[in-house]
Formats: sequence, structure tokens, C-alpha cells
Amino acid sequence: MRGWRLAAAAAAVALAGCGEPPPTAPAAVRRVVSLAPSCTEIVWALGAGDRLVGVCAHCDHPPAVASLPRVGGYLAPSAEAVIGARPDVVFAVPSPGNHDAVRAVEAAGIRVVVVEEHTLDEVWAGMRAIAAALGLAAEGERLVARVQAELEAVRRRVAGRPVRRALLVVGHAPLVAAGPGTLQDELLRIAGGENVAAVTGALWPRLAVEMVVATAPDVIVDAAMGGERGDASVFASLTTVPAVRNGRIVPIAGGAFYRAGPRVGEAAAQLAAALHPETAPAAGAR
Amino acid sequence: MRRAAHLTRRRLAATLAVLGLGLALSVVGATLVGPAPASLARALAPGGAAGPDGIIIFRTRLPRVLLGAVVGASLATAGTALQGVLRNPLACPHVLGISGGAALAGVLAILAGASVASLAIPAAAFGGALGALALVWFGARAGGRTTPHAILLVGVVFNTFAAAMIMLVEALATYTQVRGVLFWIMGSLSTQSYGLVAAVAALALAGLGWLVRHAHDVNLLGVGDEDAYELGVDVEAVRRAVFVAASILVAAAVSVSGMIGFVGLIVPHLLRLLLGPDHRLLLPASFVGGATFLVWCDALARTALGAAEVPVGVVTALAGAPFFLVLLRRSLRRAAA
Repeated sequence: MRGWRLAAAAAAVALAGCGEPPPTAPAAVRRVVSLAPSCTEIVWALGAGDRLVGVCAHCDHPPAVASLPRVGGYLAPSAEAVIGARPDVVFAVPSPGNHDAVRAVEAAGIRVVVVEEHTLDEVWAGMRAIAAALGLAAEGERLVARVQAELEAVRRRVAGRPVRRALLVVGHAPLVAAGPGTLQDELLRIAGGENVAAVTGALWPRLAVEMVVATAPDVIVDAAMGGERGDASVFASLTTVPAVRNGRIVPIAGGAFYRAGPRVGEAAAQLAAALHPETAPAAGAR
Repeated sequence: MRRAAHLTRRRLAATLAVLGLGLALSVVGATLVGPAPASLARALAPGGAAGPDGIIIFRTRLPRVLLGAVVGASLATAGTALQGVLRNPLACPHVLGISGGAALAGVLAILAGASVASLAIPAAAFGGALGALALVWFGARAGGRTTPHAILLVGVVFNTFAAAMIMLVEALATYTQVRGVLFWIMGSLSTQSYGLVAAVAALALAGLGWLVRHAHDVNLLGVGDEDAYELGVDVEAVRRAVFVAASILVAAAVSVSGMIGFVGLIVPHLLRLLLGPDHRLLLPASFVGGATFLVWCDALARTALGAAEVPVGVVTALAGAPFFLVLLRRSLRRAAA
């Protein structure tokens, strides 16, 4: 899987490199298919939403994409549906599930741009690559600048505040957290936090509940993906943990939190509100 | 049968006493290890129960170790009973459709929005397991009779069907729901509820008692249905009693811990090798031995990688698969000789 990611990164660089001069005249890129929610959001933010002729089943933002034709799941797109949409370009993120479909689409002579989405630097590179492929390089720079400014605003908001030790919970049973090296960890640091799961050295560590006691976070950010979000029962008896003692278990909706797209600034602001509520009395966790 | 004749009250008591002592020491030992440092002395000191050491040891570790013991006991006992009554060395809790039914019902409950941290999921899974049990039993029955062959076939088919339905559900669910389902299905013994442990333990002990009552008949079934019938065994009644009891043990275990493989397969085989084929000894020995095995597997799962843990099913598979292969090779060589 790591090998495939490297290969995909190389492919992304190679394809992004083809951006100038673009192999197809920008004006010709009228039909776009996106195979990932983050790519869909980027295309939309670039003002090219009207060029989307197909999106993946999990693309749900902005709400207007609800009416677009689906070309299969994020984990397993349908090559046939993608090719049938007659796109000029297809945007995808590397995933073992879409590997075969992406190959088949490329074999049909359709350009596929694969973008990484694991760090903020990769998000910026992805925005620029997608913008270049759409012939919207200037809009791409503006989008990157706008989102970077949003992150800068969050940084300023928490500047001078004490760094809060936080646990970013992804699932309750078993307990799974966002670890070091994830985009979420990067956003947490911008929001004035320090990830207590850093001790694990794993990207998405499974944690024994006793690790919550041992690491004693100031804040538990509950971004659990299922119906357990907001159910604090797994933490209730851990009364020595500052977050539990002080009632600082903050549920946040996962929409922006897991998307490596234009809403990373929104996600950072959510985290800042959870970690430093005193800096933004009005902004809650959506 | 030769060995069975040698089973004296004294040997039964001595074997179970040794195994029981091993389990008691294992529970204490496993409670003392974990990814976070914790001192039992500090936990037991006045006021220590409310401190970090006390909370780590008594609120998070001990209930988890005890749940591991109860789940391991249930799975191994059910495995021994099913292998005996179906006369098939590959019979184990997970080929009989029961765990498939539990998993499918659990997944549906998660998609319906139930919290994986609540009791709604184990309740749904338990219901699903009982549904699968009824389906397999009545599906395998014809003319008021069942055969081991038919039970195994229907069980395997239902398990595969349930796995496919889970894939269908995953295809229809949102991405975040799928992640939640995948985490849950991998299985975990994490709990802080002594009440849950007690409930599963009560079911496990009741199941064990029920099975031990039929242990002698299970021995006789080993010679084949016809011969057992000649010896005065009500084959159908014994099979039904054992199948239902074993299924309830599995249902309780799976509904609180997800899919933990190999315990119900290798612990029975290992003990059969060590103690002989008499189910009057094997069933209680599997209960205690399975508990000990899973307690240590979970201790490894909690500590092997440092601060992060691995799914306990990974440890049981790593410990179980090579061992099972060795065992199989041995019996193949013996059969060839």
C-alpha cells in the first residue's frame, strides 16, 4: 500500500508537471469526474462545479453535488461509469480500492490526475494540480492563499494561549485516535493543541482506555464517525483525566474534519473552538 | 473410550485445580501489565482507587481481563462441544453461522445509528446470533432429524451469506459509517462494565453446566449416530441440547467482543491432545484453558506495540495458525504411517 502511494505520488507529480503547458487546451476541459469527496470540494471551490459530470457516492459537499450522477463508491469506483460520463479529466486520490478502475480509465485514453491528501502541503499541491488541469491556475493560487489565510487567522486567534493537550477520538469501541502524521494532527497543532496520541507513533492508533488515563488530556475532541459521537460513557469513569473532570469532552461534526480540501480552515477553527472556547464565544462545534 | 474409563474423580479434580490455579495467576499477571505504567501498591493504598493507578487497574484493566477470560472460556467450550457432537475437527464457533448472524445484526444496528459504546450493539448482535442459530438448526433439519454434515453445510453457507450482506451494507453506507463498522468487526475486549462481564459469565457458566450434563452422551456420539443410538443415546435430543448450548455461549461471546478467531479451534485441539478425548474432563478444561489463552493473547495485544494496541484477533491468529498447522501435520503423518 505504501508502494502504491509512492507510485501514485510519482504519477501525481508527473501528471501535475504536465500542467504547463497543459496537454489539452484548458478550454477543452469541460467535463470533469471526481472520485473523491476532497477533489469534488476543490473543483467546486475553484468555481468549476458546473463542469462536474460525475462524482463518487461519498461526495456530499457542497449540498449542490447531491443531484450529480454517481460513478461508484470512493472505495470502489466503476470504471465503466467513469468512462461513460465521457470526462476530459478525472480527479482521484490514491486508494487500493480505486487502483484498477483508475488504470482502466487511463487505458481508455482519459487523463487522470491523482492527488495526495495526507498533509497540508499535499492539500496545497492537490489544489494547484487540480486547478492547472482545469486551466484555472490563477484561481488555484487564490484558493490556496484564501485557505492558508483562514489557517493563519486560527493561528493568530490562539496565539499566546497555553497549548492544550488533546486526544482526537475517531472511534469509541475500540478506542481509535488520530495520531501523529495525520492531517488532523497538523490542524490540531495550528489550533493550539498538542496530540497526546503522539506517544503511539501510529497514524490511527487503537488505544487501550488506560492510555487516556496515562496521557491525561486537557480536552477530548470527539470526532467519532458513528452514532457514538457525543456518547461520553467510555470516558465517564476516568475521573483523574482533566478533560473528564472539567467536562471538556467536545463532540465535533466530522464533515470538514476528515476532508483534505478547502474546508481545512473550517476544521482548524472547530478545533480551536474546542480547545480554546474562550477565544471564540460565538463559534461552537457547529 | 479407553481413556474415558481412566477418568477418576481425583484426576478430574486435580486437572481442573491445576488449570484453575493457572487461570487465577494469569488474571492477576495480566492485570499487572499494560501500555500505561500503573502500580498495584498505589492503587491499593488508602484513597488509591480514585487515583490514576486505581482507575487504570480497577476501572479499565481488570474488567477487560475478566471479559477476556469469560469470552475465551465460552469460545473454547463451545468449540470443544461442537467438534465432539459434529464429529468434525474443523468445527469451531465461527463456521456455524452464529457469529455471522451476530456480526450482521451488529452492523445493521450501527448503521441505524446505535452507539458502539452502548449496550444496543451487543443486544442486537445477541439477537442476530439467536436468529442465525434457529435458521441453521431448522435449515439443516429434515424429517425431524439433523446430521452433522447438514448442520456444518448450512452453517458455512449462512456465514458466507452474512459476510456478503455485510459487504452490501458497507457498499450502501456512508464512508464514515463504513469505518465505524470495520473497527467494530475487528473485535475488542475493551470494557469497563463489571455488569457486562457478570452477565456473560452467568451465561457461560450455565452453558458449561448444560454441556457437562451431556458430556457422557457426547462421548458416545463419537462412535457414530447409529452405534450411539444402539447404546441408548437419544442422538437427536443430545445434538439439539449441545448445539443450542454451544450457540448461546458463542452468541454471548461474539456480541460483546466481535470476531475473535482461533480460540474455539485450537484450545480444544490442544487439550484433547494433552488430556485425551473424554468430554467430561475436556469441557470444563476447555472452559478454564480457553480463558487463560485469551487472557494472555489480550495482554500481548495491549502491550506488544507499546502505546498503541493491536486487535486481539491478530494475536490469537498469530499464536493459533502455526500451532494448528503443526498439529495437523502431526496427525497427517500419523495417519500416513
